[in-house]
This record gives sequence, C-alpha cells and structure tokens, in this order.
Amino acid sequence: MTPEDEEKRQGTDGEEAKAPDAPAEVPATDASASADAPEKPAAVTDTSAEPAGEAPEKAEAAADTPAAESTSETAKADASPAGDAPEDDNRPKPPAGSVADLLAAALPDVTMSAYQGMTNVVVEIEPGDVTQVMTAAKEQPSLDLDYVRYLCGVDHEAEGLEVVYHLMSLSKRHEVLIKTRLPQDDPKVASVAQVWRAADWHERETRDMFGITFEGHPHLVPLLMPEDMEDQFPLRKDSPLADIEEWQGDQLPEEGVGGSKKR
Amino acid sequence: METVDINVNMGPQHPSTHGVFRMVLTIDGERVMDVEPHIGYMHRGAEKLSEEMDYRQAIGYQDRTDYLAQFMNEQAYCMAVEKLLDIEVPERAEYIRVILCELNRIASHFMFLGAFGIDLGHFGTSFTYGFREREHIQDIFEEVTGERLMYSYFRPGGLVWDVPDNFVQRVRDVLPKSRQGLQDLDMLLTGNEIVSVRSRGVGVMSAEDAVSWGLSGPLLRAAGVEWDLRRDKPYSIYDRFQYDIPVGTHGDVYDRYLVRVEEVRQSIRIVEQALDQLPDGPIMPEKMPRKLRGPEAEIYSAVEGARGEYGIYLVSKGGDKPYRLKMRSPSFCNLSALRDMTIGNYVADAVAILGSIDIVLGCVDR
Repeated sequence: MTPEDEEKRQGTDGEEAKAPDAPAEVPATDASASADAPEKPAAVTDTSAEPAGEAPEKAEAAADTPAAESTSETAKADASPAGDAPEDDNRPKPPAGSVADLLAAALPDVTMSAYQGMTNVVVEIEPGDVTQVMTAAKEQPSLDLDYVRYLCGVDHEAEGLEVVYHLMSLSKRHEVLIKTRLPQDDPKVASVAQVWRAADWHERETRDMFGITFEGHPHLVPLLMPEDMEDQFPLRKDSPLADIEEWQGDQLPEEGVGGSKKR
Repeated sequence: METVDINVNMGPQHPSTHGVFRMVLTIDGERVMDVEPHIGYMHRGAEKLSEEMDYRQAIGYQDRTDYLAQFMNEQAYCMAVEKLLDIEVPERAEYIRVILCELNRIASHFMFLGAFGIDLGHFGTSFTYGFREREHIQDIFEEVTGERLMYSYFRPGGLVWDVPDNFVQRVRDVLPKSRQGLQDLDMLLTGNEIVSVRSRGVGVMSAEDAVSWGLSGPLLRAAGVEWDLRRDKPYSIYDRFQYDIPVGTHGDVYDRYLVRVEEVRQSIRIVEQALDQLPDGPIMPEKMPRKLRGPEAEIYSAVEGARGEYGIYLVSKGGDKPYRLKMRSPSFCNLSALRDMTIGNYVADAVAILGSIDIVLGCVDR
C-alpha cells in the first residue's frame, strides 16, 4: 500500500463516514447539508420535495432539479424516500477538474449529477441521454474515454434497475462510473455497442441477468443463459435462490480475539 | 464457380476449445466467413451466490472463476473488501501475496505455453515441458495452502495462516528450474518453423481495435498498447519492484506468445526481489472483527491477472453481505473479440487464435 493510496483511502472513507460533521473536507457541501437536515421529515412525505430541497446545494448545476424530479417520477414512483435521502445529502462532491467536470463542460445541455464514490467518480445521467453522453465521452478529445472496463446492472428493487458503465481513458489515465436508472417494468436503454465494441457482450450478459433491453444492439440474443430462457432474470432480486444453510458464524460471540490468533 | 457456405459445429466437447466452449463456424472452403461463439456451459451464478455469502465465504468462489490464476482473483476480491472496511494489510502479507500471485502467473503462463504448442500442431512435447514446470510451482502452492486448485488462502486483512518455515528456500530452489524450463520451451517453440508459419500474421488485431474491444493483459500488450495495471493503476506493493512490461508490435498470435514468454521472465524477477525484501511480522491486522460489516458504498478494485484485468465491482448497502458483486473477468472480455479476430482466417487458424486468447471457461462463464 503506497502512502498516496492510503491517504486517498482514508480521505474518501472519512468523507463517507462523517460528511455532515467534517467541515474541513467539504465546507460548501457541509453547510447546506446540515441546513438540509431538518427538512428530511418533509421529504419523507413528498417525493418531489426531496430533490428540490437539495437544489441550492448544487448551485452551479441548477439544471439538476428537473432531472432528479423526473427520475423520482418514473423510476422511484413508490420508493421510500427515506432510503435515499441521506445518500443524496451526504454524497461528497468530486474534486474540481475531475472527469465529472470535463463531462459537464463537454455536454452543457445534459442534466447530470456527480459525486465522489469510495473509489471512483460517479456521474448519474438520464436514460434518454445515454447515446449523447457516451458518444461524447468517447469522441471528445478532452475526455477520450476509449476503454470500457465493464458494464453491468444493479437491481435496486423499488428504486429501479441501474446500468453502470465503467469507462477509462488509457491516454489520459482517468476513469469514471456513469450510471443511469431504469424502471423495473419494461427497462429499456440505448445500446452503446456501436460506440465501444466491448459493450457487445456486456450488454448481452446484462440482458440475460436483468432483462434490460439495449435498443439498437446488433445481436441481442441470450449469451450465458439458455436460448429458451426468455422471462427469468437470475440476478434480479426477486429471482429466487434455493435456501443456503446459514454459516454457524452467526452463533459466535461478537467480541472475539483477533482472527489470526484464533486460527 | 458457385460455392456454398457450410456451418461447422466445434465444441462443447472439442479438445482445442480448452473447456466447455462451442463455436459455430460458417466456412467457405477453408476460409472462416463467420463465427458464433456459444458460452455459458459453466455458468454457476457466482455473482448471485456471492450476494448470499458473507464477505469471507465468497472467497471460495473467486478460486472457481479463473482456476489457473486463483491468487489474483482472491487478491482482487480481498482488496475490494479491505477498501470497503478500511483494513490495513500487514507488510509481510502483502509480500507473500505478491510472491504467490507472480508464481501463479508463471504457472498459468507455463500452462499456456504448453497448450499453445499442441494447438499449433506441435504434438505433446511442449505440453509435457510446460506441465513439468507448472508442477514445481504447484507443489509450493500445495505446501503453503494445503490445496492444489482451490486455495482460499487470502483473507480480507491478510492471509489465513503464515507460510511454512522453508518457504523462501523452496521458492528460491524452484526459480532456477522455472528459468531453465522457460528456456527449454523458448528454444523449442520460438524459432520453430511450424510455430512461426502457423502463428505469424494470424488473428491480427490492431491497437485501436484491441482497446475498443476492451482487451486486457497479454492480448492488449501484444497489440502494442503498453498497459499494465500493476504499473498504471498501482495496487498492493508493486511500485517497489523493478520489472519491464513487454509489448508486441503486430498484434498477431505469435506476438501474444512472445509477450507471455517475456512476462514469465519478468515475474521471476519480481519474485526474486520480493523474496529479498520479505519482512517478518504479522500476517493479519491485530484487531480483526469476527464478522465483517461494511458501510454503504461501492468499490471497484482490479488486479493484473494472468489473462488481464480481473476486477471486482462491489456494491454494499451495509450488513455483512455484498448487495451486488460483479466480476469483471478478463477471459470474457477477451473472448468477445474472437469473432473479429477469426473472420477471414483459415479454419485451422481458428484453433490457434482461440488458443492465443488463453481462455479459462470458468472465468468466462463465472
């Protein structure tokens, strides 16, 4: 572990854990976050109030509000806002000049919200903007995101299906996670197989596992699953898994000695 | 003259497919006009199963993906959990991990070199040579972990137990053998007329295409892209060692072979340096919780495996289990480019190209 790594890890972790009371790290976010805190109960009762309350915090990205609103209307219609309200409030901003800023500069008319995850900069976009954003990400010389590390789905149950694109630039050495949320029933998003050929099999796999339709894909047929398995998607959370016997670790005492000594 | 395209089914039980893999070749005479790869015969749902396992239990599933480079997979997974829980790995454990990973790379590449000879019609000599050298390293792994295939030796935080007392000496004894064995294979294959004719200019992939297809590891480097996660996205303690990154020029099957030969030499260099620097000390942090519980976060951690970038994308929503665990397997991504590489080549070359990708079907299907 290099000192740099360590510093980064501790830094991001610290932000994750105690963003509301760490004014030294992100003063601007913190001020509005704590100001937002009393509003949380209000957000619970009204879904659309939650992104609105968050808007002043993202002063420079004022266009953000309609995007967040439409997400909550389409994808999280019956989601419990209590679940993601703190997440939205506490999420640390990516460092200035990061890929998120480059993306925003390249696409001024596209609504996107960015935050610093534990290991990567994450940018959330609307499903309708996927083609535009991905094409720009690949073609714009300032971004030059020419390499797809992976593309996968995540099932957030009531909050919708998420498609995650992990893009990297071999020349500029930067990377970004781009995410978009789709509704649980009839999830559809434009294919990026024409932008990066690597997306071809990743999208087929994601269709197999989550039932997401990638429109415009040249050959969207089952890859890992049998050809006749049309309506069952194993990695969705509602897909059953045979009961697994619980590990006896559950019965062990919570405060034990160090694992290495005991073993 | 009028010709008719014929469909030829190859696999899933075909000796040259390196496992349960099927491809349907559309051929016109001896030329391959189209290829449709069929995978999924070994899909065991490792990602789904990991969602039901706590963080230590899922280690075993990492061995069962790329079962020729198990330590790298375990390292990628353990690094993800360590980042999530903010665990500091002791120095000694890091060094032992690097030594085992690089030995694993050597063993895996010996397997490739042996099988490569067979794929090119060199019959069994290279295979027995390759297997002999792999066996020396396999013995060390068995002595350290007690297992020959599914090691489950790395833990979040470090290692399950320390290496045997004679470990350093055992590795030092084996390295000259590996070096000699590599030289034997090098002399047998590199200048060989059969190998040369069968592999030069076959399955060519340009650097631009290789990047677009998301190739990684020896395939990407053979195409002329100097990219190695150990150097370019440094993890563990790889910044403490001196080693070179071999890069090809033509992006053909022959270059992929040459890159792997050189990678074995470089891995031997890394192991030697790591043995010299190996410190004493604990192999696990002092205080490890019995039950690992992570905060709400998402993590991506990747290592340079024997076949390329093996990555773990872990989404945690708290609790002792991953909410979602995505395995970015190098074989899957590399194999997706098979169609592009094979079209226009001869049928016999399809075998050479598939061999040069060095797939492990457990890693493709997961």
